[in-house]
Amino acid sequence: MDTASQTAQVSVEGVWKVFGRKAREARAMAKEGASREQIQTATGSVVAVRDITFEVAPGETFVVMGLSGSGKSTLIRCVSHLVEPTEGRVEVCGTELTRADGATLRDLRRQKMAMVFQHFGLFPHRKVVDNVAYGLEVQGVERQERHGRARELLDTVGLEGWGDHYPQQLSGGMQQRVGLARALAVDPEVLFFDEPFSALDPLIRRDMQDELIDLQLKLQRTLVFITHDFAEALKLADRIAIMNDGTFVQVGTPVEILTSPADDYVRAFTQDAPVAKVLQACTLMRPLDGASIDPGWPLVSMTTPLEAALPHLLGSTSPVVVCDEQHAPVGLLRGEDVAGVLSENRG
Amino acid sequence: MTAVDEVRTRAAGLRTASEHRLARFILAVGTIVVLVLVFRLFTNFGVFPVSWDIELADPIDRARRWLINNQTSHWLYTVFLNPITDVIDWGIRRLESILKWFPWFSYPLFTGLGLWWTRGRIAGALGLASVALIGVVDLWAESFATLALMSVSVLISVVIGIPLGIAAWRNESVARVVRPTLDAMQTMPGFVYLIPFVLLFGFGRVPALISTVIFALAPVVRLTEVGLRTVPQVTVEASEMFGATERQTLRLVRLPQARPAIFAGMNQTTMLAMSMVVIAAFIGAGGLGQVVLRSMQNIDVGRASEAGIAIVIMAIVLDRFSTGIVTADPGRDARAMRWLASVVSVVAVIGGLLGQNEFPESLNWQFAPYVNDATDWARDNLYDIANSGIGTGPFSDFVTLEFVTPLRELLSADIPWPAMIGIGMALGLWARGIRLAIGIGAALFAIGFLGMWALSMDTLAQTLVGVVITLALGVPVGIMTSHNDLLRAALKPVLDFFQTIPSFVLLVPVITLFHVGRIPGIIASVIYAFPAAVHYTDLGLRRVPAEIHEAAESFGATRSQRLRRVEMPLAAPELMVAVNQVIMLILAMVVIAGLVGGGGLGLEAVRGLRRSDAVGRGFEAGIAIVLLASILDRLTRAIADRLRPPAAV
Repeated sequence: MDTASQTAQVSVEGVWKVFGRKAREARAMAKEGASREQIQTATGSVVAVRDITFEVAPGETFVVMGLSGSGKSTLIRCVSHLVEPTEGRVEVCGTELTRADGATLRDLRRQKMAMVFQHFGLFPHRKVVDNVAYGLEVQGVERQERHGRARELLDTVGLEGWGDHYPQQLSGGMQQRVGLARALAVDPEVLFFDEPFSALDPLIRRDMQDELIDLQLKLQRTLVFITHDFAEALKLADRIAIMNDGTFVQVGTPVEILTSPADDYVRAFTQDAPVAKVLQACTLMRPLDGASIDPGWPLVSMTTPLEAALPHLLGSTSPVVVCDEQHAPVGLLRGEDVAGVLSENRG
Repeated sequence: MTAVDEVRTRAAGLRTASEHRLARFILAVGTIVVLVLVFRLFTNFGVFPVSWDIELADPIDRARRWLINNQTSHWLYTVFLNPITDVIDWGIRRLESILKWFPWFSYPLFTGLGLWWTRGRIAGALGLASVALIGVVDLWAESFATLALMSVSVLISVVIGIPLGIAAWRNESVARVVRPTLDAMQTMPGFVYLIPFVLLFGFGRVPALISTVIFALAPVVRLTEVGLRTVPQVTVEASEMFGATERQTLRLVRLPQARPAIFAGMNQTTMLAMSMVVIAAFIGAGGLGQVVLRSMQNIDVGRASEAGIAIVIMAIVLDRFSTGIVTADPGRDARAMRWLASVVSVVAVIGGLLGQNEFPESLNWQFAPYVNDATDWARDNLYDIANSGIGTGPFSDFVTLEFVTPLRELLSADIPWPAMIGIGMALGLWARGIRLAIGIGAALFAIGFLGMWALSMDTLAQTLVGVVITLALGVPVGIMTSHNDLLRAALKPVLDFFQTIPSFVLLVPVITLFHVGRIPGIIASVIYAFPAAVHYTDLGLRRVPAEIHEAAESFGATRSQRLRRVEMPLAAPELMVAVNQVIMLILAMVVIAGLVGGGGLGLEAVRGLRRSDAVGRGFEAGIAIVLLASILDRLTRAIADRLRPPAAV
């Protein structure tokens, strides 16, 4: 075992998933670079995931972004082992899922992993509190204890007092809060999110994203998050993987993706992206290198979004000073650099 | 290949497919015409030759005699069948005596409470009153016999059915065996199940119970499977992700979500069991069915009506209660209900200990005499009103002479038997293909070899007349309800009511008006099948998507154009399902109507059940019914499939 996979909490290596009978032929064709359509017409099999490798560090939020049919849903099911990968290695919290027997996998799911689903996946026949307590019930936790824990988590997600309702009596946003509480109830180390907010309307979606960011600041869990919404990916991710036709086109931080898209496919997403919101001052600043600073120049912190620095830059020709957490200047942000990035991204 | 080329090729494919279809149709019709002409002109074939009868009846009668003689000595009985009989009989008796231990007043009260809980106050009050009515007309003991037999049947069906449904859901190869078997079991008129079990067990409640279980098993198995299959995958994934075992997921996630479907299956099973337990009076199952049967034989329509109404009350109470369980919401009555339930329970136990189990005679009041008076009046006054040639009698004669008899003659004599077989096969060939054609041919030959040709054609003729009348009435009503929600809502309780009534009971009011003969059977069968015709027509037309209506309208189609050109063709497969259901229901009823002089296969089967020297013939008739039912079922299903628009190319 190499050092990387020891520190990584989720490690995926060369995972393939082929649906259909002629998996081997399909894979051979895929290795020669055939497209999904070509393979499907030739073999009748669908290559959903082709040769994907990545690692997620503890506390990291890893977002897989792809359009429908890109294979992202299958990928997260391979990683959480709801779907058996055709080939490859998946390791979660140091246990190799692809080799684990049923009992090991069950134990791992009970102790370390949880998942939040696109259409919530709530149990319509159970009250909200029993939905949240489900993971604990499966583990054999006594009723009183699991209900206590479930009610605690309902408070955490802002649903105090809703425990005795049935899920279908709640709005979509509230239902997904239940889904989130249910996943958190088992105190997992790794959380999988399968497009959790895509069924919600835009305002609710934004609230949920903000809340997830707050929660993550508090809890510091490892998140693998699937979405088809590029803006959502930029907002939540520590790192983003852009997926198309079963493979990762590019993996990188939001800034890397925005500033140097790997190809036209990725560039197409970045065109409409809220660059000024996502990029931070530290990304575009030039190091001070001993240059002198005029005391009249405005100051911003390293994590200030470009958006907030723009008024200063538009108002005058002088640069903006970027300071670190100790308020010591570390670099300069210049109008022409910012303009370059913004216009580049507007194509 | 360019896109245009591709479209051209596909279009050409479609054109050949439709030309192919037309050619097959012309071929089929041509074959029929040629066959009939050839046989009419050049041969003197008529009814299937009597000398070809394989006389299956003889060995069956011999077997029956052997079975009777060895009932006390042979190991088949002493080791195997008698213990089964004893256990089942003991169970039914035991349950009956438990039911009888409770005081008489607890039944109306518990029914009232049960319906109040599931359906609200009015239903509760009606339930209380109608159950009391069963006691008032002095059918208390008979009701217990029916209830006990039915409960044990339902219990066994559920105990077998739910695990079987789970097995079929879990294992595709089990499902591949179970599904068609159940389909076939449900297709058969329930009546025919009685025959083989009478042969094996003799008369009594045990063969009644076994045939009831077989007849009633299908829905609970099928709906358990469907219920499990339709559990949303995402909830199963969620359960798996929490590390639930297979068993936990089944118990905590799948089965609870399948519960409404399983309950619906249990409801249907209960209703089928009810209807079968009544018919099983033919083989000495006793109970309310026995009263109906005996009274009809004695032409005591009054008593038959009382028992019939008692059966209908039981059926409707059970139906309302069992369909209400899933959605039961007592609301603000809940506390009062719980309180009342405990009081009634305590009083029931005290009453039972004090021996208040007989329904008090002082409360008896029978309306049978009035019904008999009304029947006499109807016979004197409606049968032939003032000797004018108008009335139910002349109507019966008219339908018999103008439709039923000529059609029977046409099918059994005028069209020579080889042509008949040819027609059946041609239809099969057109509808599905060579395998169905061969199947139909073989089945028809078998009917001939059994010596049941003429009787089968008689039954077929009655069935066809019933089908035509039912469709002529039911399809227009279905068209109307599909365009009018108000009418549909108004008709629904009436249709539900008629569908809940066990088939056999429908004969009672009909023979008051039409006496015996073929017509009462046909009329009862029309009443029996009418709800299905309306329901499936309505369903088919409602499935036509709204945007297709709008599209048709935007082209300026009139209402009738829209109906003829757009809706009916699109609903055609569903309408064919309606035809299929109607045929099967009518055949089942026409067979039972053998009891009231309906003639045909039904009469032969009834006779076989009644007289021990006719068992062999009855058995042959039973097989012929099964064959006829299978032919009609497969053929109409195949035609329904034909009418479906081609799937996406």
